[in-house]
Amino acid sequence: MAEARPWNTALRLLQRYQGLAGLALLFIAAHFLSSDFFVAQNWVNILKQLAIPGVLAIGMTFVVLTGGIDLSVGSHLALLNVILATWAKHNANIWLSCGYVILWGVLIGAFLGWLVGRLRMQPFIVTLGAMVTLRGIAYVYSDRSIVSGFGDRFDAFEKPFLGLPISGWILIALTLAAGLILSKTVLGRRIYALGGSETASTYSGVPVNRVRIAAYAMNGLCVAVAAILFTARSSSGTPSAGLGYELDAIAAVVVGGASLFGGVGDAFGTLVGALFIVCVNNLLQLRSVDTNIAQAWKGVIILLAVYMQTIGRKQPT
Amino acid sequence: MKNLRSYIVPSVLAVFALSGCGSDKSTTGTADNPNLPLVAFAQANSQDPWRQVFDKDIKQAADKHSSEFQFTEQEAGDDPKKQIDEIETLMVKKPKVLLVSPVTEASQKAIEDAHDAGAYVILLDRSIPGNKWDVYVGGDNYTIGKMAAEFMGKKLNGKGIILMIRGIADAIPTKERAGGFMDAMKQFPEISVIQGDDCGYQRAKAQTFMENFLQSKKPFDAVYAHNDEMAIGAYLAMSQANAPAKMIVGIDGCQKEVVKDIKDGKIAATFRYPQPGAPAIDIAADYLKGKKHPSNKVLLPTEMVTKDNAEKYLQEHPNLAD
Repeated sequence: MAEARPWNTALRLLQRYQGLAGLALLFIAAHFLSSDFFVAQNWVNILKQLAIPGVLAIGMTFVVLTGGIDLSVGSHLALLNVILATWAKHNANIWLSCGYVILWGVLIGAFLGWLVGRLRMQPFIVTLGAMVTLRGIAYVYSDRSIVSGFGDRFDAFEKPFLGLPISGWILIALTLAAGLILSKTVLGRRIYALGGSETASTYSGVPVNRVRIAAYAMNGLCVAVAAILFTARSSSGTPSAGLGYELDAIAAVVVGGASLFGGVGDAFGTLVGALFIVCVNNLLQLRSVDTNIAQAWKGVIILLAVYMQTIGRKQPT
Repeated sequence: MKNLRSYIVPSVLAVFALSGCGSDKSTTGTADNPNLPLVAFAQANSQDPWRQVFDKDIKQAADKHSSEFQFTEQEAGDDPKKQIDEIETLMVKKPKVLLVSPVTEASQKAIEDAHDAGAYVILLDRSIPGNKWDVYVGGDNYTIGKMAAEFMGKKLNGKGIILMIRGIADAIPTKERAGGFMDAMKQFPEISVIQGDDCGYQRAKAQTFMENFLQSKKPFDAVYAHNDEMAIGAYLAMSQANAPAKMIVGIDGCQKEVVKDIKDGKIAATFRYPQPGAPAIDIAADYLKGKKHPSNKVLLPTEMVTKDNAEKYLQEHPNLAD
């Protein structure tokens, strides 16, 4: 096995930084494919477009690191989006409404974590149920209609500050916070431990259930932030919002070098993964490729990224 | 060696995946000559039959002008955020004309930014508030509702009960198709209208609703459905229950199926909800030649389709959805 070691090292590096490698390849391709890609205006757009999927992906990182998954984030976003829009329409204080929505995001996330951890239900099934339920509540809450007519009350989030839209700064701040929590705190270490091996974590005294609840609650918080940014960007509350966003979030996490078996991945990688996906979309649009074909490419890239992460790693038995 | 192979396979795949993007010929636009001005179209969705006809129409119309401008289209799958992203990305290519069929009012900001950036903005089918756009082109649902009421009132000799099967409750077309109908019904005081359920413009939902309604044994003489899909659903429920045939009227006239049903006498009539693609392309072409459209609102006329003109209608509209 000795002669395989350099390859192993290279493979580990590539697995760890596959998002960056993909991004580099994409930039090279973009250089030849579109003269509009490396234009300042396009990059302002990309950063605006990155904020919502980026924040969702950062939240998803916590869940994936525990070995879980959350399919409900799109519906969850839609529900919080219509709640926030309804409050805004009735002239509620903007910060109070945001706080209220964040509270709900955390509560819903924590509840999902509790179902997964305490009731020992599979994350896939729990969040699939939540996906349907939360979407239904979003429609009922909004009386099946689009909530609009509060003008530009949330415009501040899209305004530039030091060259970046505020939404972009929020994404950067959340990424840094998530990175610090994951690498420097007890909770972070426990999340990695739980994803690495639940049995070992349990025996070594990690409060497995509470860690799960915390990870899903973090995700809920990020969904709430994304919902606030979505409300700002669309100036409306749409019960059908966020369809398929869960897949973009999961894809970003995986492309960013995380393993869906848990225990491997980090916030910075996820950010790069989200940027990669937004850039792919953007480039395909600049090339006038049909969005359905763009969708198919996204699927291929996700499969590739997942495959990369499985090479030489433990498989569930 | 196993490690080596497992490393190479994905790398090769990755290179293929990325290089594939470039050689992809399935573009939706006509990017013949990069020196020609660009007309960009942000479509709300390309899924329902009416939109499919819309897409075919607009591409054909644009092809006729391929020596004057390039045309490119992006559809948003009815996702408001996706449409905002698409409009912003299209604007990077600095189109002279931007056509938008807004998903919702959420696209307003992006459209206004495009207008501020100097694009001539034409709205199709759905409008947005404000005045930072140039021309709206679309059908007139209120008039269609009125015409349907007049047709049905006359056929019933001013007497009877009409069951109205409604589209998505809070959609603007639903409100106009219902509103025009109810306003015109005032001329027929002896006709009463039963407000049926919101069947979401879907055939299956209308079929279920009609089955349950027939089961309730409430009397009615005719069905007015807010679109053809629901009219067909109502017909299917009635024929499967062997209920006596009643007059059924729909709206849209964009599917061959409904025109055939009219020819066969299963459905009494439909009213064409016209696709705004081709007229909008003409307005865009005129603008590029320096002629701005004189008004900011173009309401497209409807056509009534009955047994008498069904065959002719099929021939005049070859792009109808299958």
